[in-house]
Amino acid sequence: MMHWRIDALSLLFAGIVCSIALLATCYSAGIRFVKAAGERAPWSHRPVYYALLAFFWAAMLLVVLADNFVLLWFGISATTLATAFLVGYSGEPAALEAAWKYLVLCSVGIALALLGILMLARATADPSALPLARLATSLMVLGFGTKAGLVPMHAWLPDAHSKAPAPISALLSGVLVSCSLYAIVRTLNASAVLGTAGSVQTLLLVLGVASVVVAGGLMLTQRDLKRLLAYSTVEHAGIVALALGFGGPLGTFAALFHLVAHAFAKSTAFFAVGVLQAQRGTTEIGALHGGCRVWPGRLLLGALVALGGMPPFGLFVSELLVIAAGVAAKQWTALGFALVGMLLGFAALARASIETQGGRMRVAAPAWHLRVPIGMTAVALFCAFGVALIPWTPAGALLHAVAAKVAKP
Amino acid sequence: VSTVLWLVFVAGAWLVVDARTSRVVVAYVVLAGTVTALTVPSSLMPSPTVALFFVSLALKLIVAPVGLLAFAGNNPAARNLRPALILPIRLVAVLGIGAIARGVPHLESLSAFPQVAVAAYVILCGLAVLTIDRNLLGQLVGLLVLSSGIELAGAIVAPGLPATIELGAAFDALVVTFIGLALVRAFLAHNPLLDVESLRSLRG
Repeated sequence: MMHWRIDALSLLFAGIVCSIALLATCYSAGIRFVKAAGERAPWSHRPVYYALLAFFWAAMLLVVLADNFVLLWFGISATTLATAFLVGYSGEPAALEAAWKYLVLCSVGIALALLGILMLARATADPSALPLARLATSLMVLGFGTKAGLVPMHAWLPDAHSKAPAPISALLSGVLVSCSLYAIVRTLNASAVLGTAGSVQTLLLVLGVASVVVAGGLMLTQRDLKRLLAYSTVEHAGIVALALGFGGPLGTFAALFHLVAHAFAKSTAFFAVGVLQAQRGTTEIGALHGGCRVWPGRLLLGALVALGGMPPFGLFVSELLVIAAGVAAKQWTALGFALVGMLLGFAALARASIETQGGRMRVAAPAWHLRVPIGMTAVALFCAFGVALIPWTPAGALLHAVAAKVAKP
Repeated sequence: VSTVLWLVFVAGAWLVVDARTSRVVVAYVVLAGTVTALTVPSSLMPSPTVALFFVSLALKLIVAPVGLLAFAGNNPAARNLRPALILPIRLVAVLGIGAIARGVPHLESLSAFPQVAVAAYVILCGLAVLTIDRNLLGQLVGLLVLSSGIELAGAIVAPGLPATIELGAAFDALVVTFIGLALVRAFLAHNPLLDVESLRSLRG
């Protein structure tokens, strides 16, 4: 059962996991997460935090290096063990509520995924069991999609990602969602072998469009910056599902490239919000005026521009590729709805950028202990910029080869 | 076989209908024990599977129920699961679950597995407990029942994968027992009733 798979796709994701987890670990050194002593949970202690962070990191590596679906499922389940406590780390009632929703909804999701995996095992042993294979892969997509926050299984994500400490939010949004989508990519790969790729792609199109439109609409109503970013994660997971649903080497390449670009951009955004929260004690958009006067605010602006799909960042290129994949697949309805959702999301991010950067509020220089988190945020933003160049580098050729192999095994 | 099926049916119905935490936990133990008895033949093969089987057995049938009962014993407010639906509607829900479960083997994809109706019944009972009970302990019982249903479905659909089935059962029980009870304990300070209605501050 314990076999490892080290191919280009798993190495790509292992690279994302390790780089962002390393940044998050260094970032954590300079941030204080627990406010009131009275609200502490039994696990609200630094050594426990670092132990859970290391466990979370290891579980995500297990997901991307697993050679079979059972081990992959085990890795995804193991992330729940660590992250439920990390989400509720502060011990505040709202954080505990978020952790509870995360535990319940994700437990149901991963149970469905396990059922799908068991059915898939039976279907692969019996080539005539095509309907069973179709049901199995659909259950797996729904199960892993719950962990990726795809609508309508997304209810836990905005709560958990907004109430976790900033580096954990960055890992949840940038890496755990990517790992769950990686599981969906592997499921799509398996369904192509079994001849059920059509039904899986249709399901991904439906989930993708629903995620982009619902999240785009809800982003406009958010007044809390971390919650806005969490809904943005739902939107971007939807874009990846949509690209996988469009299918073909172009759609798969666009999905993988979007995952890489989103991972760094979203981590930067959560890192920057974490520093601003440490400085000002709030994440309310209305209370974060004058951000352009300090480095954390400027870095946040860079991240919001990247997440809005603007040049020169990778998400600009990847969103263009997703649109091109939709045009190539002639999925006009899905593409139309997705464009509306993406525009709504862009409008919400643009409004948040203007509100957080403008204004004349006097802002104090960041405290000395925040220099490490600010440095990590800058490194993450630099990476978010750097991944835009991937299509024109040897790594791009490798990604193209991986996408072609996933699309046509 | 018919006795076992009746046991599963009655225990599942009891889980959905009853509101007393201690009785619901006993119904869960009966259901999980029956499911474990049904899956034993496929479980006891290679040695790692036997180890996983006993770990999951201990977690599902000893640690989780004892933890839930101890919790309810120490916290009088947690002794009632406070279902969101009145008794007649819960009874109708059980009949509906039974009817849906009977229809599951008629699906084209599952027509080769007539016994899957029992697993579908357990899974649906788990989801019903999860959604009907307003006490957080009820949600933990719901997750445990759902896990038992998945274990049974796995044993029916993929009897050749006992290690995977036991791994899944053990891990689900571990997550629910340890994380669930730890979170419930942390909740007590803010919400002595452990009512899900209080978990609404993050909506929207």
